[in-house]
Amino acid sequence: MSGDMMIQIENLNRTFAHAGNEVKVLQDINLTIQKGECVILKGVSGSGKTTLLSLMAGLDKPSSGKVLIEGEPISKLPDAFASELRAKKIGMIFQHFNLFEHLSVAENVTIPLIPSGMKMKEIHSKVERSLTLANIIHKKEILASRLSGGEKQRTAIGRALVANPDIILCDEPTANLDRDNSLLFIDILKELHSMGKTIVVATHDPLFDNLSFESRVIPMVDGKIV
Amino acid sequence: MNEVLLSNQVIVYLLSESTLFFLLLVAFIVSLRVLIKWDFESFTPLQFSLEKQAYLVTTITLFVFAMKFLLILYFIFSIDTLSLLVPGAMCGAGVIEANDYGSFLLILKLIILFFLTLWLYINAYDMHTKNHQWFKEKSWLFSFIFLLIIVELGLDFSYFSNIDTHLPVSCCSALFGQLEGANPLPFGLSIPLLLVLFYLLYALVILALKTNQTLLYIISNILFVYIAYYAVVYFFGTYVYQLPTHKCPFCMLQAEYAYVGYVLWASLFVGTYMGIADAISTLWLKQNHTKSQKNVGYLLSFFVLLCSAYVAVYYFKNGVLL
Repeated sequence: MSGDMMIQIENLNRTFAHAGNEVKVLQDINLTIQKGECVILKGVSGSGKTTLLSLMAGLDKPSSGKVLIEGEPISKLPDAFASELRAKKIGMIFQHFNLFEHLSVAENVTIPLIPSGMKMKEIHSKVERSLTLANIIHKKEILASRLSGGEKQRTAIGRALVANPDIILCDEPTANLDRDNSLLFIDILKELHSMGKTIVVATHDPLFDNLSFESRVIPMVDGKIV
Repeated sequence: MNEVLLSNQVIVYLLSESTLFFLLLVAFIVSLRVLIKWDFESFTPLQFSLEKQAYLVTTITLFVFAMKFLLILYFIFSIDTLSLLVPGAMCGAGVIEANDYGSFLLILKLIILFFLTLWLYINAYDMHTKNHQWFKEKSWLFSFIFLLIIVELGLDFSYFSNIDTHLPVSCCSALFGQLEGANPLPFGLSIPLLLVLFYLLYALVILALKTNQTLLYIISNILFVYIAYYAVVYFFGTYVYQLPTHKCPFCMLQAEYAYVGYVLWASLFVGTYMGIADAISTLWLKQNHTKSQKNVGYLLSFFVLLCSAYVAVYYFKNGVLL
């Protein structure tokens, strides 16, 4: 761990209006995540983990408070800048994989690089490297619709890694995987951690309680860090 | 009730203008509140709420402004159609002169359109900054435009409700053609001198564009649009109509002339407005020119080529000039 701050969250609040009432999804969150750190946000459904991840990724805007990535406040970034930041610095892995079912594994992984304007040769080389890292290179020509849950998740990992981001955000990554595939996912996470990536996982899976590599578990209850 | 107010075009036009005005009124009220309390450095719930409202205002404004660009074309089309109702009018020129409000309304619409273009440029600059650096500038400009739009809406209703369909108006040949020997051209210019000035100013605009001479660019653009108007009405238009005595800026908007007036005037005004707005916003905000400069050159060149083509085609067909 380098000791430099990667993600800094100050007095973060997020409320939603629901049926005329104000629902406080996140309340006064203060959190610092160092470069290369692996943080596990643990909590039951509705505890605010996914909302917190969305705010870290700049996908959503808070009701008040700050999110800083490497010292730059991102909670107010206009959409174009937030997209640019995500494309360069953040890889996301979702519970439902969010793949294009009618595209092949390699095509799914290629998509994040298309707006970058890179040459096709360079894109191909990055995709190959990413698929190898995610251990799904042998299925690169197969349509996403024909993959098993574990393979879909590894494709999603490949897509998250293809732009070589510093931060990997995972939202319930093992919720749709069996135990063996979940352990495989954790192995990949371990490798990413050894590469110095900053990892934040939102999960309620007990498999993340005692990881074989250094990690910090942050429990969340009712939108608060406890 | 006034026959004009019952015509389909006028009903559609006034309803559209009123609806857009209502949307702008909402945007204006919200934007004033945002403007007064805006502090981008703050991370309070109020500021986050203001930023969402500012985004809403920008979205409404963009939509309304896009509609306003289309509505001016519809306004011209409507007054052209009204020439069937107003005795003596052969085209929109007579209808515009049917009362004291018409010309003023048309000029005001053109002025508003210019400020809308300027707002679009400042908005584009603002949206390309991380901290909405030009938010206050674009909001004040929006407030100013809104005030002009209030006057415009009042004039819209005054104009259409005061067209008397029993009172004959002058047709375009009376308005632009027979001026009892008086020279209608500015600065006492003759037609050959007008044309020399027209092409020289065009060359100056392009030169200023290529060499990034912003001030020269603004001045030459303003002079060009002024001279180009007279050049079209008193010279190039006669080739569109193929009649040396027919001098009118409106008749060329009719189907008989393949609606070429819309293309001519749109390329001139859009090109000039974009050019001037780009130059003013770069001076005001001290920013680099946008990529739209190239399009300004294309639009004005297209306008000049189209005007010249009518003369060339006539000459090649008939072997003489008008």
